[in-house]
Amino acid sequence: MVRKSNNKEYIRNLEKRVETLRILTEVSSIISSTLDIRELMSLVMEKAKEILSADACSILIYNKNNNKLEFEVAICGEEETSELLKKKITLDMGQGIAGWVAQNQQIVVIKDVKKDKRFFHDVDKMTGFETKSLIAAPLIGRRGLIGVAEIINPQKEDYDLEILSILTRHFATAIENALYHAETLEKERIKQELEIAATLQKSFLPEKPVFEKGRIRVSAINIPARHVGGDLYDFVEPDINKAGIFIGDVSGKGVSAALYMAKIISDFRYISRGINSPSDVMNKLNKVLSGAPRGMFLTAIYLIVDVEDGEAVISVAGHPPCIMIKKDEVYVLEMSSGPPLGIIETDFDENRVILKNGDRLIMLTDGVFEAKNISGERIGFNTILEFIRENRNIENLIERITGLINEYSKNTEMADDITIMEVSCL
Amino acid sequence: MKTEIIEIKGNKKLKITGDIDMHTSPELREILLSLIKNSRNQCVCVDFSDVTYIDSSGIATFVEGLKAIRTSGSRLFFYGLPENIMEIFRFSRLDRVFEIYRTFEDAFGI
Repeated sequence: MVRKSNNKEYIRNLEKRVETLRILTEVSSIISSTLDIRELMSLVMEKAKEILSADACSILIYNKNNNKLEFEVAICGEEETSELLKKKITLDMGQGIAGWVAQNQQIVVIKDVKKDKRFFHDVDKMTGFETKSLIAAPLIGRRGLIGVAEIINPQKEDYDLEILSILTRHFATAIENALYHAETLEKERIKQELEIAATLQKSFLPEKPVFEKGRIRVSAINIPARHVGGDLYDFVEPDINKAGIFIGDVSGKGVSAALYMAKIISDFRYISRGINSPSDVMNKLNKVLSGAPRGMFLTAIYLIVDVEDGEAVISVAGHPPCIMIKKDEVYVLEMSSGPPLGIIETDFDENRVILKNGDRLIMLTDGVFEAKNISGERIGFNTILEFIRENRNIENLIERITGLINEYSKNTEMADDITIMEVSCL
Repeated sequence: MKTEIIEIKGNKKLKITGDIDMHTSPELREILLSLIKNSRNQCVCVDFSDVTYIDSSGIATFVEGLKAIRTSGSRLFFYGLPENIMEIFRFSRLDRVFEIYRTFEDAFGI
């Protein structure tokens, strides 16, 4: 008799082990079947519900930013209840059973929730669902707590708690992988969007970075710091003998600066038509930009040069100075300047300079001399000035300046947009 | 960046320590705008003596503050600017836009 009963026990245990192995294999295949986070969590929870013959299952994901648990997946009989849980309910750390499990990172089995003080009745009140018993397990991945899985009203009682914790560890790893995959996809999407934005932004700048009219030749280099930037330049022809050259730098960086730059360049092209006075254009642009959001402003220089006699009229709005290159000397052009555009009402001045045969004028944005090296030191305006002095006879000077900055900022992330223009009188 | 708000002689003083750049200016914006909103005819004085750097997004934050305080009829001024910060303001002619003083007392002609 004893032997018979031992045999039965042995067979029952064996069957249980076979069943456990079957579940583990099934769950493993589910886990490796998808990287879609929602699909994965739904599949896992469906399986858990089935294995334990439970009424409902849910996964709460830990949101690091607000330190709360949010319902991500809820599988119940009623779809409305699931939606309500997902949209309306969040738990603080330590709040309810799930909050306790998240805080203590321990699996919890509660046979009768009415007898457990930790149970948070409000969720049942809101959903109309009746929780009698539950199993709550922490989901812990390589990067720490991911969330909590809850199995509500499990009918099966002969489950193995150890197997359950092995399963939740597997779930946690799979969820973490899927989350990581989703993050990577999102990053890739943003990168692609930024690449599109960069192409679009470039289309706002002149088609070619070189402009020639009469005795005047202008060339420009523009390198945004992070795909898109707030630096801009433009060439216009306000009159038959005139060339208009504009350089500007929008405050801030990235997408907001790029969008504002696009607006400014359109405003500039509209305003500058047929106006031969750069200060008139600056005054008008200043008015248009005075309603800029979030205090955004623009430093700029607008130069209108007579392409026959080389007389240049320049208006400056808080922008770094121009550097004049003559045959025997290089110097900073002393000019009167107004504040940046878009801040206060003001009248901008005009400065007059005659560009003679062989003269070159360098215009730049502050990204050029604020470039940092790996120790965080800025290159400075004077280094740029000295470099220009030493290399004044070189033809491709603005490319050389870019090379100097690249060399100086080697192994660092470019901090600001760089724009350099050279106006030559032939 | 660290900020500290001190009520001094009936005015609000905002002391800033560290870099004001595109990473820290959103936080500064919230503090400054709420300070201006609650200033009720008080001056808002910004102590720059421990500011190590300011970029254009930081300056834009103060431009926004300046525009906001004008509508409230109050005053926003800066003092104690280290030479490198003063140079940034001077270089971009922002010294004409903002009220800048050497010391807190100078601002009130004390």
